[in-house]
Amino acid sequence: MLGAFALGAVAALVLPLGAFVRRTALVFAAIGSACALALSVSVLRAGATWTGRWDNLLQPLGGVSLRLDSLGAFFLLIIGFTGLPASLFAIGYLKQIDRHMRSRATHTLFNVFLASMCMVTCADNGGTFLFAWEVMAVASYLLVISDPEQRDAPTAGLWYAVMTHAGFLALLAGFIILAQGGSWEFPALHSASTLLAPRARGAVFVLMAAAFGSKAGLVPLHVWLPRAHPAAPSHVSALMSAAMVNLGVYGLVRLVFDLLPPGPPWWGGLLLGIGVITALTGVLYCVAETHLKRVLAYSTVENLGLVFIGLGFALLMRGYGYGPLASMGLVAALLHTLNHAAFKCLLFLAAGSVVHRTRNVSMEMFGGLIKRMPATAMLSLVGTLALAGLPPLNGFPSEWLTFQVLVAGAQRTAPALAILLPLALAGVALVAGLAALSGVRLFGITFLALPRSTGAQHAQESTWMMVLAMAIPAVACVVLGVAPASVIPQLSRIASDLGQPTGPLSAGLALSVPLVASRMWAAMIAAVAVSAGVAAALVVRISGRDRPVRVGAAWNCGRIIQSARSEYTAAAFAEPLKRVFTGFYRPMQEVTIDVHPTSRYFVRSIRLRADLAPWMDEVVYGPLVRATRGVSDRMRQLHSGSIHFYLALLPGALLLLFVISRWIR
Amino acid sequence: MKLFHKIRRTGIVTEPLSVDGADDVVLAREIDARARSLFGRALAIREVDAGSCNGCEVEIAGLSGPVYDMERFGLHFVASPRHADMLLVTGPVTRNMAVPLRMTYDATPDPKLVVAVGDCARTCGVFAGSYAVVGPVDSIIPVDVTVGGCPPEPTQILHGILAAIGRFERGGARRA
Repeated sequence: MLGAFALGAVAALVLPLGAFVRRTALVFAAIGSACALALSVSVLRAGATWTGRWDNLLQPLGGVSLRLDSLGAFFLLIIGFTGLPASLFAIGYLKQIDRHMRSRATHTLFNVFLASMCMVTCADNGGTFLFAWEVMAVASYLLVISDPEQRDAPTAGLWYAVMTHAGFLALLAGFIILAQGGSWEFPALHSASTLLAPRARGAVFVLMAAAFGSKAGLVPLHVWLPRAHPAAPSHVSALMSAAMVNLGVYGLVRLVFDLLPPGPPWWGGLLLGIGVITALTGVLYCVAETHLKRVLAYSTVENLGLVFIGLGFALLMRGYGYGPLASMGLVAALLHTLNHAAFKCLLFLAAGSVVHRTRNVSMEMFGGLIKRMPATAMLSLVGTLALAGLPPLNGFPSEWLTFQVLVAGAQRTAPALAILLPLALAGVALVAGLAALSGVRLFGITFLALPRSTGAQHAQESTWMMVLAMAIPAVACVVLGVAPASVIPQLSRIASDLGQPTGPLSAGLALSVPLVASRMWAAMIAAVAVSAGVAAALVVRISGRDRPVRVGAAWNCGRIIQSARSEYTAAAFAEPLKRVFTGFYRPMQEVTIDVHPTSRYFVRSIRLRADLAPWMDEVVYGPLVRATRGVSDRMRQLHSGSIHFYLALLPGALLLLFVISRWIR
Repeated sequence: MKLFHKIRRTGIVTEPLSVDGADDVVLAREIDARARSLFGRALAIREVDAGSCNGCEVEIAGLSGPVYDMERFGLHFVASPRHADMLLVTGPVTRNMAVPLRMTYDATPDPKLVVAVGDCARTCGVFAGSYAVVGPVDSIIPVDVTVGGCPPEPTQILHGILAAIGRFERGGARRA
């Protein structure tokens, strides 16, 4: 697996520029992903773990130690599963940069990125984990800024780099506190953590939750997501959104269910609260945003919020000693992670193919693409329905399960639960409703009606390779939606491997949650929906057989000239919601009226610019950015240019370090 | 609370139909019965303003207002010609509305009835000869029944609707 990625990376560097280097490097990436998929499936199937150890590699960090257990294998499965279509998609997608030197860098980094993500899932000591984590961050950062045509890529990259490195520092600090016993091996950390004082454990939890949360896009650490995803090439956004952010989930699960002993309930309460806020923030922006890839990025924020609701619930239940409920929450979170990865990978690839063909990024410039790109449109429809959480696609079962476990938890007697969980339930319900709205908007504005720009008018279907790449996750969306119960045993095993009691989730044909006596037979829903559709079609066909059929134009309210100007726009679609949630969106409007010089009653043009104020960024990061600026301006005054002064600073710094080390002792 | 207070204080402000209004009820019941036997449901009417002064519209609106309230007898105004059995066209057909009127007629599913309401719809009324007017309704689309009057009273409109249904029963409805 890693060998294939290494070959791909090297091939991208040494082969002569051209189509061949692209195909070779990306085929190796696809092979590597397939290997990762095979490895993870074998580990999940057999229930055995796979270990590897190389002490002389990365010696200062304690050697490379790899161990793939069922939890790691599950996330490796997600990476392999999204890496494969992303690599195939890139073969068609990156054709136009064949002549550029940067194609080498892009292909190499892509392979490195995939390899480092795989390594994160199987790292078995702190050093390896941090190394792989950092390589992953740097590779993805470089990929984000790799497209010189994206004007705002450097800014987006800066946000991303700062967020991810702040996260890395928090992670490092967490590991240092955790590794009091001296060894950084995960088993040693596990046994040493029981000796930690509860307050130190709390500190580790908060630090690492912040670190993993910044990767997973939890509010208010989500700011890099809507910036970095649009700037990155689409196959990279797909990987980042469907695989990399999930590693934040992986890290947190590894930390709280494996490394740390069971913690107090407030850990779960904190995660649950942040999860609800994240999901709501994500979905509200997802409904209002008009930049196609930013819509998807906010949808990622929303779905990761849902995953963290599940995780927080599991921690909360474990804190109160309801073991089976905790494993159900964990299973719900993992199921949603998997489902989100499948449909988000699909949607980002579809967005890539739309953006590629129309040469536009704004939803206001699309329209009518269902006629011009039928395959992409149909596959996007699958993804959008999954995103909207409608049965029989895969967004539905996991949202349903999250909902059900919250209901089951709300019936426990602890007063905190009786207050917190109904609120969370209300939040999840609102999120699910708004997600459906955003799905309607996403598909309707992009693919239906008349094209709104020449780019959309002359769009063509993507190449067969790209369509094939999109079809892979689309099939997964349908399969996971129709038969979610088939993966539940595996997920329950992951939970029991982590020392959780086996959840009472039964997974026969129907998915049932016994504590609230509710069951859902996904295949049945699909069968009923499909057979109802077929039956309706048959009835119409048979009953109308003898009647004459008159074919006419679609009714357009008698309008003589039908143009795209009279269509619903993406912004208009979200307008009612913007009014309802004015306090949240804080919309800004700028109206410019150009009048004729002779009289102000003759209006030449009216220009309306509406935007949402990014108040969250301003409130949270504004002071931080200003403080950093201020400090660096101060520091700049030290740069006098005098070499004597610089030399004098050196011993001063040394002296200071001595004092500090003395003081720490 | 204020709302309930207002409701109590205001009482019922609609007046009953006048003495001869009983005729309207009889008329409407007959339309209802015959439309039901014809279509198996209420009669769906699409109103098209082809350039009217809105006098006829006021009378037509009166049909569904609180005094007549013809919706209770199954006279149902719909929002699209796709849902309609009958077009109720008012006004002299202006140049701007000629094509849309034709499109509306084409969009109405067969079998369909057309009732031209008002003097303008019949003969262009006071607007006859205007540069903005194409002609009466029957110069654009086939008309089944014409209702005269400027504007016609709701009762007359009901008679027109009934006459159109009668034509249809006798097999006179057009198929485009």
